[in-house]
Amino acid sequence: MKAHAPCATLSTIPEEISLCLNGSIHELERLTAGVAQFCASNSLSADTEFQLNLVLEELFVNAVRHGGCEGMENAACFSLTCQPDSIALVFRDRGGPFDLTQAPAPDLNQPLAERRGGGLGIHLVKQIMRDVAYRRDGDWNVLTMQHPAAEQQETL
Amino acid sequence: MIQLSEATTAGWCVVSVRGRADADSADELEAALRTALNNNAKVAADLSGLDYVSSAGLRALIQAARAAEARGGEFAICSPTPSVKRVFDMSGLHQILNIHGALPC
Repeated sequence: MKAHAPCATLSTIPEEISLCLNGSIHELERLTAGVAQFCASNSLSADTEFQLNLVLEELFVNAVRHGGCEGMENAACFSLTCQPDSIALVFRDRGGPFDLTQAPAPDLNQPLAERRGGGLGIHLVKQIMRDVAYRRDGDWNVLTMQHPAAEQQETL
Repeated sequence: MIQLSEATTAGWCVVSVRGRADADSADELEAALRTALNNNAKVAADLSGLDYVSSAGLRALIQAARAAEARGGEFAICSPTPSVKRVFDMSGLHQILNIHGALPC
């Protein structure tokens, strides 16, 4: 399939969505709805929607289950912005300091008996996204990254 | 939301998994697969109706495969959609799980 820049042809004003979530796994429903709305309004592929959902779920669930965000109001916020050749994602959470970019990679060659699935979520984020960067901003972990939507559509 | 159903065909217990296997539904998926494995020597998870999987869903499948291996049973994963299969591939699970393009039974 020929690649096309999914956001460049629509408007000179980038399409964006911003959403804040409370510290509960049940907020995944709102996260999914937000991603669906963003992808529909920007005519993004189902594959891109799948991957944005996956990345955001992994980041959000990590913050809730391991970062101390469980039960917090407005525990995490994210924004998605269409750019000419990619989608910019900014994810912020109020969990304890955690630099995802420094997390060790899981051993994908472990035999089944030794596999627990730990670390897979961060691994998937790093596989799908590029230019992943972390900073601590006051009480917030801030991650910025790009989804190369147009490049991936070319491979479908 | 995840939808699970179970049927027996040619000696295989087939657990059909539809919808989303995410952090909100992974425990339900793992429980259904463990129940099937407790009652059957051969269990297949039919993923043809699975629209989405995250690492939480993968962990449920890994735990089911480990449980089957521990008890000498068989556990097969069948008919994943291309998007779901890509997640298996990125995770290296295609090397250690018994993944089929179609149901084994």
